[in-house]
Amino acid sequence: MNQTPNNPMSIQTKRLWLFGLFLLLILGLFLLNLALGSVSIPLKNIWGILIGREGVKESWVYIVQNSRLPRVLTAALAGIALSASGLQMQTMFRNPLADPFILGINSGASLGVAIAILGSGFVGGLFLPALTLRGEFSLVLAASFGAGLVLALILLVGRWVQNPTTLLILGLMFGHATSAIVSMLVYFSAPERIQAYSIWSFGSFSGVNWTQLNVMAIVVLVGVGLMALLPKGLNALLLGEDYARTMGLNVGLLRFVVLLSASVLSGAVTAFCGPIGFIGVAVPHIARNLFKTSNHKILIPAIILIGAAVSMAASLIAQLPGSQLVLPINVVTSLFGAPFVVWVVLKRKRGATSFNV
Amino acid sequence: MPPVLQTSALSIGYKNGGKTPKVIADQLNLQLSAGEFVCLVGPNGVGKSTLLRTLTGLQPKLAGEIQLSGRKLESYLPRDLANQVSVVLTSPISVGAMRVDELAAMGRFPFTGLFDRMAKHDWEVVHETLRVVGVDKLSHRYVHTLSDGERQKVMIARALAQEPRLLVLDEPTAYLDLPGRVVVMNLLHNLAHGHDKAVLTSTHDLELALRHADRIWLMDDEGRISQGAPEDLVLNGSFAQAFNRAGVLFDPLSGTFDTQNSGSKTVFLEGQGSELIWTRRALHRAGFVVDEEWIPGSPRVCVRPQEGATTWQLEHAGQTFAFASIYDLLQSL
Repeated sequence: MNQTPNNPMSIQTKRLWLFGLFLLLILGLFLLNLALGSVSIPLKNIWGILIGREGVKESWVYIVQNSRLPRVLTAALAGIALSASGLQMQTMFRNPLADPFILGINSGASLGVAIAILGSGFVGGLFLPALTLRGEFSLVLAASFGAGLVLALILLVGRWVQNPTTLLILGLMFGHATSAIVSMLVYFSAPERIQAYSIWSFGSFSGVNWTQLNVMAIVVLVGVGLMALLPKGLNALLLGEDYARTMGLNVGLLRFVVLLSASVLSGAVTAFCGPIGFIGVAVPHIARNLFKTSNHKILIPAIILIGAAVSMAASLIAQLPGSQLVLPINVVTSLFGAPFVVWVVLKRKRGATSFNV
Repeated sequence: MPPVLQTSALSIGYKNGGKTPKVIADQLNLQLSAGEFVCLVGPNGVGKSTLLRTLTGLQPKLAGEIQLSGRKLESYLPRDLANQVSVVLTSPISVGAMRVDELAAMGRFPFTGLFDRMAKHDWEVVHETLRVVGVDKLSHRYVHTLSDGERQKVMIARALAQEPRLLVLDEPTAYLDLPGRVVVMNLLHNLAHGHDKAVLTSTHDLELALRHADRIWLMDDEGRISQGAPEDLVLNGSFAQAFNRAGVLFDPLSGTFDTQNSGSKTVFLEGQGSELIWTRRALHRAGFVVDEEWIPGSPRVCVRPQEGATTWQLEHAGQTFAFASIYDLLQSL
């Protein structure tokens, strides 16, 4: 706890090194994700496949191009999106445990998707052609709408309820309520739709094809782009809304943009990859701890890199390299994420204020 | 030059969603000029925070007018308002891993663009304010490693970095120890006098307010505000009126509050120096009426300050006792 006065130059140099390190890590994880899986492909051939060199085994080319490359890119995008969403939520709620998953926003997205997949039986197949472009957008729209609805509800209530803990509990309750509706939909649905929904709910980076990936990339770009406009506003929110207002910021607009960005980001990920837990809560903490700052000018680029790296690592672990098995992503993120959150909570109790948002 | 802050017939309170608004105070005609340090005091719950929030635009007024530098408060854009007024709030902040200079630099928000790019001048202002407040040596420390007093000073530096004409603070000394409070009040006084700011703070530290403020706004539980130099308010009895309640008395001689003396026993005290003053306080606390003239039959205490060891002599019922400390004296009384 006893930080001696730090030389700002050395801190900046350290941060540059960290950024470089994470770029290298991402590159390494990217190549490993392409090389490892049920079939191992030598690294030297990966490069050949990527630049389109002739004379590489055709099955390898096919696996990399159609399965592993979209998967690793999906993982990176999802990691970035969830971390960005989590960071904004933690700052806005000034709660270190806020993330799209815990606040029930993912449940909202799940409800949207459940209505899209399961409810399509009732509504007449509006969302059924899930492989067409229109289908992709409907799914994203449904998930974003569900996510936005819950977030809007939380924000609405948040105007009266200032206590973050109360809000968190309300978020959990929203989550339970939406889960109940999902359960009801599941209960009355045809088995094959239920299966489609439950596979979606395990979370996976694998089911995303190139068309879907393009859609996801655009949505994530928009969401992250919105967040990139906010470092100043988010920093001001660290002091609370009253301070932000007296510093001349339009807090209502700020809330709205954060709401938009966070719900679009978590909505998109949830739509394409399923509800993925813990990345959103963990990555901002890793970033704050490694870069020793709460300043969003540094945190925003940091969580983009760390989010991509963590998510790619989870994707790699889920493949269980060398085996024919693939784990659901949620299994991996929860197994690693739950102990991490426990650690965060315990560390806070010991008074390590660096874990304050 | 118009005063920095002026209200006329201002009414504050809460709009109660269609129903009649809850008025906390009305007909407030207040005025605050540059170079003036005003303390807003009053019993708990009379609406001091509501007044400060209304004056800084955080909460809408109910009626009347607020003028800042001669312009209506509502006519300011948020950013322009931030150039006029900056605040320090009661609630402790929890920003975690942020350096002191980064936190103070937030005061430059009204001057920087969307991406908060700080010009050289902006950093100069930040470093100057850290120096003025006296925390320049801490500028590379993390905020969460500071003491409460240091953190409050950094928050004052942040507010100053906004280069406001009016600095408004809501109980800035609430979480500080006594020396910390004196330091902060002294700092605020100096900001008004040495840097030509209009400084308005609410506080519960009446004794400090009496000592440091140029003017007091004394708010009573009916929402009336009496204004004046602290000494005027003491002498005309406003203080006693606003704060007196069962068992507590404002003593206009010492400018302090005292529990009402319900004691009936009388004691005669003689002596000199600080020992005499503190002995009187002790006897007072123990429930004695300290008499100036000795009435035969009542106890008589003599303080005899000596090099190294003061003794307290008690004559009572024809016997004389000597004690080495006030504690021992009280024990036997």
